[in-house]
Amino acid sequence: MEELINQLKEQIIEALNLEDMTPADIDADAPLFGEGLGLDSIDALELIVLMEREYGIKLGNPAEGKKIFSSVASIADYVSKNRKK
Amino acid sequence: MRLLKQVEIQPGCVRTDGNRIDSLCGLSLSEIYRKVCNGYSKFFKMDGLCKTGFVAAELLLEGLTPEQKAEGSVILFGRAGSLATDRNYENTIRNPENYYPSPALFVYTLANIVTGEIAIRHKMQGESSMYVLPQYDREAETRTVQAAFDESDTTLIVSGWVDYENDDNYKAILNLYTKD
Repeated sequence: MEELINQLKEQIIEALNLEDMTPADIDADAPLFGEGLGLDSIDALELIVLMEREYGIKLGNPAEGKKIFSSVASIADYVSKNRKK
Repeated sequence: MRLLKQVEIQPGCVRTDGNRIDSLCGLSLSEIYRKVCNGYSKFFKMDGLCKTGFVAAELLLEGLTPEQKAEGSVILFGRAGSLATDRNYENTIRNPENYYPSPALFVYTLANIVTGEIAIRHKMQGESSMYVLPQYDREAETRTVQAAFDESDTTLIVSGWVDYENDDNYKAILNLYTKD
């Protein structure tokens, strides 16, 4: 799981152009939206694309997405259980 | 109306009121950003057109108070508009086998986003507009700025030319006007 979390951090930094950040700067349990990384709605859409492109996961339910994207750890947990690639 | 300040940025050269700023010349837009403002992480999400206008506006508006900027407007002109980003975005949807449209790119496929990025950054609540012209037309700029002063409550206007094709070919000439 630790490896997946680090991989996700790197993918998030690249996909969201968080150029000032390194994986070490991201707390896996910190909120991604609002406080924490302070991501916005466009970032959320970009994360949905990332999930499909990298892991073959299609998210169709917005309520589900809110829970999955609450932190890097929660994304990793969902990916590990639902990944298609 | 009165011209208060001018900033010009193109690859290899940054000028304020015609004077070359040696410490910034030769730097990329991101490097200039790190030197003059930093701490606004949204910069790295912007496309080239927005980065060009944003950095020029940072230099143009430095030293002004929030109160001075509050009734400000942003009226820009350019030639290529969002063409560079349009092409980048097209690349994300060209291959049916690798079809992953990027929302973060798509939002920049409108040329006028650059005016919004500047207005948001500086909390300028006046008019914001972007016109596409075949070339920089200072007379058109003067007419449009004067009309904005005459027809609205705006007291300060950022205007000028912002154009971006790629990292080796971009230009911003921004002028800061005041009503009196």
